Amino acid sequence: MSSMIEVRQLKKDFGSLSVLNQISFDVKPGEVVAVIGPSGSGKSTMLRSLVHLEEVTGGSISICGKALVEDGRYASTANIRDITSRMGMVFQHFNLFPHLSVRDNLELAPRTLKRESVQQITAKSRELLSKVGLSDKADVYPSTLSGGQKQRVAIARAMMLSPDILLFDEPTSALDPELTGEVLRVIRQLAEENMTMMIVTHEMSFARDVADRVFFMDNGDIAESGTPEEIFGSPKLERTRAFLMRE
Amino acid sequence: MDIDYIIRISGPMLEGARTTVLLFLIVIVLSIPLGMVVTLMAKSTLKPLAWIAHAYIYVMRGTPLLLQLFFFCFGLPQIPVIGEYLVMDRFVAASLGFILNYGAYFAEIFRGGLLSIDKGQHEAAKVLGLSRWQTLRKVILAQMFRVALPAVANESITLVKDTALLYAVAVPELLNFAKTAVNRDFTVTPFVVAGVIYLLMTLVLTLFFKLLEKRFKFE
Ligand SMILES: Nc1ncnc2c1ncn2[C@@H]1O[C@H](COP(=O)(O)OP(=O)(O)OP(=O)(O)O)[C@@H](O)[C@H]1O
Ligand SMILES: [Mg+2]
Repeated sequence: MSSMIEVRQLKKDFGSLSVLNQISFDVKPGEVVAVIGPSGSGKSTMLRSLVHLEEVTGGSISICGKALVEDGRYASTANIRDITSRMGMVFQHFNLFPHLSVRDNLELAPRTLKRESVQQITAKSRELLSKVGLSDKADVYPSTLSGGQKQRVAIARAMMLSPDILLFDEPTSALDPELTGEVLRVIRQLAEENMTMMIVTHEMSFARDVADRVFFMDNGDIAESGTPEEIFGSPKLERTRAFLMRE
Repeated sequence: MDIDYIIRISGPMLEGARTTVLLFLIVIVLSIPLGMVVTLMAKSTLKPLAWIAHAYIYVMRGTPLLLQLFFFCFGLPQIPVIGEYLVMDRFVAASLGFILNYGAYFAEIFRGGLLSIDKGQHEAAKVLGLSRWQTLRKVILAQMFRVALPAVANESITLVKDTALLYAVAVPELLNFAKTAVNRDFTVTPFVVAGVIYLLMTLVLTLFFKLLEKRFKFE
């Protein structure tokens, strides 16, 4: 298997507004892709399309070699579920379940889906909470956590189903500046463990530091892509340069 | 006011209060699930289902409860041909009216609760692989009930007081006993006793819901 994510001619319209214009790209196993670009350029829509939170208008998406959508035609509901379950997603606003304790936030999906035994699930949630440094918070409700802690819980929750790919949509944008570090550290650690990731971010220094490749999106296109050195060091396009100057 | 008299009338009045409590329990136990179902119907993608739910809510909230009670107790039997099969025990007919009426109010309360839930909750659950039904059961309903709790408490207290409408359809209950005693004994005391009994019932409810709200604070 050569690509974890394979996207071809992806098109998404909201009514008459064309948000993604025939986007194509590949993400290789273990690769970390940072997605940058101005507001409204389609970054979130692209990420959300991968996990079927948006229904695309045309084009193809394959995850781990399996077609989620091919030339605008979606797989069966069961297959869609199977394919998207290989991906975890972390949202800007965490989207933790406020009525469940931290541990139950982690365990809800695996316990409901019953793919593993309860012992396996509890062992895993314990391990992941310790990995994100929140072992002591297992029994509290999310409302008592800081933003940075919430986001680390969200990352642990996304890891519970052992996804092959993790997607992050501006994971630190809702955080106070002094709390971004603890979240970025966790993501960096995942990168070191060779997790395949796509990260939409405004943290340019983080993108430069952690990414293998950077996509610069503009107006529904991946206008420019390359290594962090290429994009941040010597961008080819004037608009990339203009965007980076502004950030 | 004389203590002996109060004690003497308290027996029959508590008897009447039993009917009040019974009606209250029947209506709460049945109208809350009914409201739940109607809320889900109103949100259904099957348009006719949603339409029926909205029409039902509109009619029940847009007409007086007393009219609805009259309709079930005295109106139904008057319908040509099928009327004779619709003669029910007064209490049963009135309960039905109450259940349908409160079901609509609870549906509206729950609908508000659903609207308050961020769409990120649905999205997070979906990405975690939960089906729509699993999401509803494990993520949405608990939060909806939490948001709706104060309004449900309010509605329950209103229901305690609305049970007095049974008087109008001649089902003997607390108020009915009080009125009889007042007419018979030429004293206002039974009304005061009735008031105290209503207050005790609403007090118990208030404390119960306070407890629930504290228990489901999620902090
Ligand atoms: N549900 C929707 N309905 C209509 N238009 C939408 C919807 N979601 C997004 N859009 C539009 O699609 C375009 C791309 O939005 P998107 O959220 O993908 O941008 P973004 O690059 O993530 O921006 P930001 O940096 O602000 O998060 C925007 O013009 C937005 O207004
Ligand atoms: Mg976005």
